Amino acid sequence: MADKRNHDERLERLMNQLADSVLRLSDEAILAETREVGADLEQEAERTRLVLRQASKALDNVNKRLSNLGHAINSNDWRRGQQGYHNNCLNCGSSVSFTTATSEMQGEALDGLCLESDQYTIRRREASRK
Amino acid sequence: MYRDCAPFNVVLIDYCVPPSSGVEIDHCAPLQTHGTALAMAIREINPSQGMIIAALDYRNAGEVERPRELMHIPLLIDIGNFQLRSLLEKIEVDRAIEALTSSELRRLQQFADLRVWWLGRTARGKTGEDLLHEALLRTLIGAEDTQKGRHWNKDVDFVMHLTGAMRSISSCWKRQFEAAVQRKETEAYLIPALPIHDAEGQEHSPLDNVASGHITSGGLWGTDAAADERLIEKDEEDRVLTIFKDDPEAAQVLQGLLDGLKKNETMPRYGLGEKQYAAAVKRIRVKLLGRKNGGSRGEKHGR
Repeated sequence: MADKRNHDERLERLMNQLADSVLRLSDEAILAETREVGADLEQEAERTRLVLRQASKALDNVNKRLSNLGHAINSNDWRRGQQGYHNNCLNCGSSVSFTTATSEMQGEALDGLCLESDQYTIRRREASRK
Repeated sequence: MYRDCAPFNVVLIDYCVPPSSGVEIDHCAPLQTHGTALAMAIREINPSQGMIIAALDYRNAGEVERPRELMHIPLLIDIGNFQLRSLLEKIEVDRAIEALTSSELRRLQQFADLRVWWLGRTARGKTGEDLLHEALLRTLIGAEDTQKGRHWNKDVDFVMHLTGAMRSISSCWKRQFEAAVQRKETEAYLIPALPIHDAEGQEHSPLDNVASGHITSGGLWGTDAAADERLIEKDEEDRVLTIFKDDPEAAQVLQGLLDGLKKNETMPRYGLGEKQYAAAVKRIRVKLLGRKNGGSRGEKHGR
């Protein structure tokens, strides 16, 4: 077991140093290295940007869907599970989850409007209609 | 006023804004249009302006009518549920993504690929892109700890923040895998694992030498406990060194890195100059990433 830990530490050390060496590379060196492997820096970069945008979009989609249904969630309350992230509506308690790989959403919160939203407050819009 | 006072990080617009100062809002109007008209005007001036529309008089975003061009703008429905903070943070993160240069993006991708390479089979088939995706998601969720999310402290460079997140997430994946192995979960033994290379450089599956394994009806790899241990403890260090058996300088630098030596310790030990050392590190990186990517990284993702 001690051998395995030692072996893991050595590999981790190697990988940390290699990964850090990437961060220390100058822009010119990155460009040269990318060309050397026959890749196009701009294309590669935009593909990576797309990955980041997609992650942002995944969360956006869940939040918009919940907002459309009147559910309120605390964005700090997302919990990481085996299959993705889980949260509960602060008003009605119904659950929602989404997977990071496919951005697929699930949960009872998506079944319909939040029945508890605005239970205790009277909105100006409605009050002014009376 | 927007034109005179810009730039703004974010503009918060009241959906029920009155048409001009001194005029009261008609809450009974079937459709509120002044807020959206203002948003449209700002969009005309600066299409990338971060905006939030506050529609606090509504129960849910579905009730808030707005033109198609403004559908991407986030709505603030409830001021009391941390919604504003998370919307503001999201705008900041989205802006940081767009501001990343090509070199920074490439560094992020290579960093991610190297971390996943380190994970080997403990990555359970995840790729560098998955790691990057996860790091960004946790940044947006922005909670206090690594289990839930990673708040972005704006004093830290965005690239450094994401690399820090990837470091901790990949370590977490490895721990989870090891915990699953301890619990003897079958899922931990799913087939995809990095190929190993023998002395002749031939690729083999790490499962080739596991005598007692079998594929279950569900496509899972079932083994006895002793075989499991042999599989997990397969010597990856030898695998890495084998890749560079024909490149003595790279093998020496690799040995130095594995031993935790700094550059100025490795160079005199093996009689390497500064340029030789840098070139060897580059060859190691390129070769390891090249093997990991197999030249077809994009094909692995349906995203």
